[in-house]
Amino acid sequence: MAVDMSKRRTDYGPPHYERFLPPIIKENYGKWKYHEILKPGVMVHVSESGAELYTVRSASGRLISIDKIRIYCDLADKYCGGYIRFTSRHNVEFLLTKKENIDPLIKDLKALGHPVGGIGNSITSIVHTQGWVHCHSAATDASGIVKCVMDDLIEYFENMKLPGKLRIALACCLNMCGAVHCSDIAILGVHRRPPRIDHANLKNVCEIPNVSASCPTAAIRPATVNGKPSVEVIEERCMFCANCYTVCPAMPLNDPLNDGVSIWVGGKVSNARSEPMFSKLAIPFIPNNPPRWPEVTGAIRNIVELWAKNARKYERMGEWINRIGWPKFFRMTGIEFRKEHIDDFKHAGLTFKRSTHLTF
Amino acid sequence: MAKSVEEIAEAMFNLVKEAGSQKKLKPMDLTKSMIQMFGDEVDKKICKEAIKQLINSGRCVYTYFGGSFIELPHREGAAND
Amino acid sequence: MADNLPETPLLNELEKGAWPSFVKEIKMAAKRSPMCQDLLGQLEQSYREKIGYWKHGGIVGVMGYGGGVIGRYSALPDKYPKVSHFHTMRINQPAGWYYTSKALRDICDIWEKRGSGLTNMHGSTGDIILLGTTTDQLEPTFEDLSKIDFDIGGSGSDLRTPSCCCGMSRCEWACYDTMALTYDLTMHYQDELHRPAFPYKFKFKMSGCPNDCVASIARADMSIIGTWRDDIQVDQDAVREYADKGLDITSDVVNNCPSKCMDWDGKELHIDNSFCVRCMHCINVMPKALRPGKDRGATILIGSKAPIIEGAFLSSVLFPFIKIEPPYSKIKDTVDKMWDVWCEEGKNRERIGEFIQRVGLGNFLEAIEIDPVPEMVAHPRENPYVFYEEYFEEGDDDEEEEES
Ligand code: HEM
Ligand code: HEM
Ligand code: SF4
Ligand code: SF4
Ligand code: SF4
Ligand code: SF4
Repeated sequence: MAVDMSKRRTDYGPPHYERFLPPIIKENYGKWKYHEILKPGVMVHVSESGAELYTVRSASGRLISIDKIRIYCDLADKYCGGYIRFTSRHNVEFLLTKKENIDPLIKDLKALGHPVGGIGNSITSIVHTQGWVHCHSAATDASGIVKCVMDDLIEYFENMKLPGKLRIALACCLNMCGAVHCSDIAILGVHRRPPRIDHANLKNVCEIPNVSASCPTAAIRPATVNGKPSVEVIEERCMFCANCYTVCPAMPLNDPLNDGVSIWVGGKVSNARSEPMFSKLAIPFIPNNPPRWPEVTGAIRNIVELWAKNARKYERMGEWINRIGWPKFFRMTGIEFRKEHIDDFKHAGLTFKRSTHLTF
Repeated sequence: MAKSVEEIAEAMFNLVKEAGSQKKLKPMDLTKSMIQMFGDEVDKKICKEAIKQLINSGRCVYTYFGGSFIELPHREGAAND
Repeated sequence: MADNLPETPLLNELEKGAWPSFVKEIKMAAKRSPMCQDLLGQLEQSYREKIGYWKHGGIVGVMGYGGGVIGRYSALPDKYPKVSHFHTMRINQPAGWYYTSKALRDICDIWEKRGSGLTNMHGSTGDIILLGTTTDQLEPTFEDLSKIDFDIGGSGSDLRTPSCCCGMSRCEWACYDTMALTYDLTMHYQDELHRPAFPYKFKFKMSGCPNDCVASIARADMSIIGTWRDDIQVDQDAVREYADKGLDITSDVVNNCPSKCMDWDGKELHIDNSFCVRCMHCINVMPKALRPGKDRGATILIGSKAPIIEGAFLSSVLFPFIKIEPPYSKIKDTVDKMWDVWCEEGKNRERIGEFIQRVGLGNFLEAIEIDPVPEMVAHPRENPYVFYEEYFEEGDDDEEEEES
């Protein structure tokens, strides 16, 4: 590639954020005194100087076209002096200094098909990964399930009637790019079948020592198959991470019959009240059923409704379950408890019930 | 006597070439080998420079296959024409 | 061009409903981009056959950098030639994800010319994700981006793009300036960000308070979470105002306090701050009345990661409290030492949290010259198998330690 390295600018980093801060934020940086949630999706921050900053939060959907970004820019120009920000969960935030602009902006956003909400005791946007739109190891689609789940739960994005916050995340394989393992509800794509090996082509497209070395559980070893150099997989050792497929396109892991999703519940990252917790397995496997995944949306609604009805004020999913106990959770949700629910990895013993504290 | 960045880059290039498709080397492997080969004549900082030069010259490239490596430029298995 | 859209009966189902539709977005972009037309075709086939059709590319990138580009090739290139290459670029976002419309429009113009016109705002690490382009467009895209001062972010075994909550820019609870620290670390470690030299990835995430809005405790190798050492600031009038407006302070606030260190007698709220674990609950419920104390800084925790390979971890405490002030020397010194040890001894694909588990936290602390303190553990060990490295022989001078 003919690139003149001496003339090239490198390692200059991102633009300094100060270039993008609206004047009201520059003036009140570090001086915010308190905030109030005015209505779903709208909050005001009040500064020690008395200045008031209104935030309108709206779902972006994460996968957005430049056309949509340009429309966001038009709205930012119209209402916010040309400034705009995004949140850590793919929401877009408009920062206003004029209270009278809030409702016209909300009207414009709704007309555009982007709901306003996600603040306070609500379900905000789902953090998710790439799925069939872009990733090679996806056991399910990401954007599609997210769309269906949020279509179904939209009322909880747009109002604040829940006992506490509820965070949902989705990762399309167990690499968990979105680090979903600490969410109130996590949707996790799972493969269940070890890679299938294209023995005829493997040698042409892959380097065998690298393929063997790629497996974190040492399940792959060189082998000669039908007179050709190839590899074999010790299937009991495979935990379906797709590393081998990353290195070698002749070892696809994706499989329509055996791929699907699992549902995990009760994790949190915030330190409020209880310490952060991991999500735990609720439903080991639901087959993929595109385009609307009704079994997944149904299972999630069931869990959300039970929590909403039975949790005490502020109680997150995991705090509620810890109070009532897991047996009761399974009884209430009607989810069947199976062998897969019992941990069998390192330190599994710590997850066994080691007391007589039981409900009946 | 301290080694020059060019000398180290050359030695690293030879290592990568020898490793070929049998073993993938990480930047740290190269640095460790240099320290083994040249002892006090090199340090981590100059090795870093040498890697940068090796990559900037286009003689080697970074690759990512479940971990980052340094390899000779080549056509990868997944590429389409 | 619109008539070039492939038939997508299954995807069309995802245009319905109240949530923003990614299918509409792809179709919008497909009016101009043939790539997006083939993307729709391939995605429809995935929906029909319940399987993804991408292959991983591990070599593509821009000259000189070892990260920031995710190589992707269609597994059905003959059928969908326009997405035969469909690489993604990660662009380092400005701290706090603030933009001007001008900056965003500039990015859009570049991506209209150079790629699919699809983006993620943002990826889970925090970068702007430009989704889908061909190998020959990578270098020109980088050149165009450099003219508007946007640089490429991390991927591979390098420092991943640091990210943070909005902190002091819009949150009264920020106990340190998250955006300033994020920018400073990003600039200080440009080489580590662009040239993968680690055993595996490393992430910094900064949250201004224990609410941890960027989930740093769950997904950063170093989680820097704001906190305070002195007393919660209480405005008793404002507390009474909450009570007058109907907040049940006993059940909503006091009974939810995990350290049971609060008391409300109907007129005054008493907090025994020496027992408060800084959980934020009471402050979250009464933001007008309570505020974090004034002696502010951060707790630094290390080692969280997703499950691959050794199971999921949460970060654990390294520094119970440190002041966060430029030039952040203590953080940088510690980071440099940690990286040194990990790069020297870590295995390929071993996150620093796994490394610490393997060598033992005690040994790791020794190597980075930090003394153990009780804040680092939930409780002291239960198992009696202590590996002592040295012992005394008859005649040894009691004062002298063996050189190990
Ligand atoms: C009422 C009190 C709270 C306020 C005013 C508040 C403020 C904020 C702000 C300003 C953001 C935007 C941060 C950014 O993206 O830079 C945010 C996002 C977030 N906060 Fe909080 N926080 C509060 C309580 C909490 C609590 C208790 C939790 C966790 C249990 C939490 C979790 C989050 C999460 C996950 C996000 C990302 C949300 C999204 O983008 O939709 N917050 N919060
Ligand atoms: C062994 C573990 C992992 C592997 C093999 C892996 C692999 C990948 C791959 C192949 C992609 C590209 C997806 C695409 O654009 O097509 C990706 C994206 C990504 N990964 Fe991972 N990943 C791993 C763990 C993680 C973890 C633990 C995190 C975060 C804590 C993470 C964060 C990300 C992010 C933010 C992206 C960008 C795409 C997105 O936002 O969805 N990854 N990863
Ligand atoms: S979670 Fe798995 S399938 Fe999804 S983007 Fe990450 S690596 Fe790809
Ligand atoms: S999917 Fe992962 S565990 Fe299974 S064989 Fe491949 S690399 Fe090994
Ligand atoms: S982490 Fe704390 S300081 Fe940062 S935005 Fe969230 S509530 Fe505010
Ligand atoms: S911050 Fe948490 S622990 Fe401290 S007083 Fe408030 S509720 Fe109790």
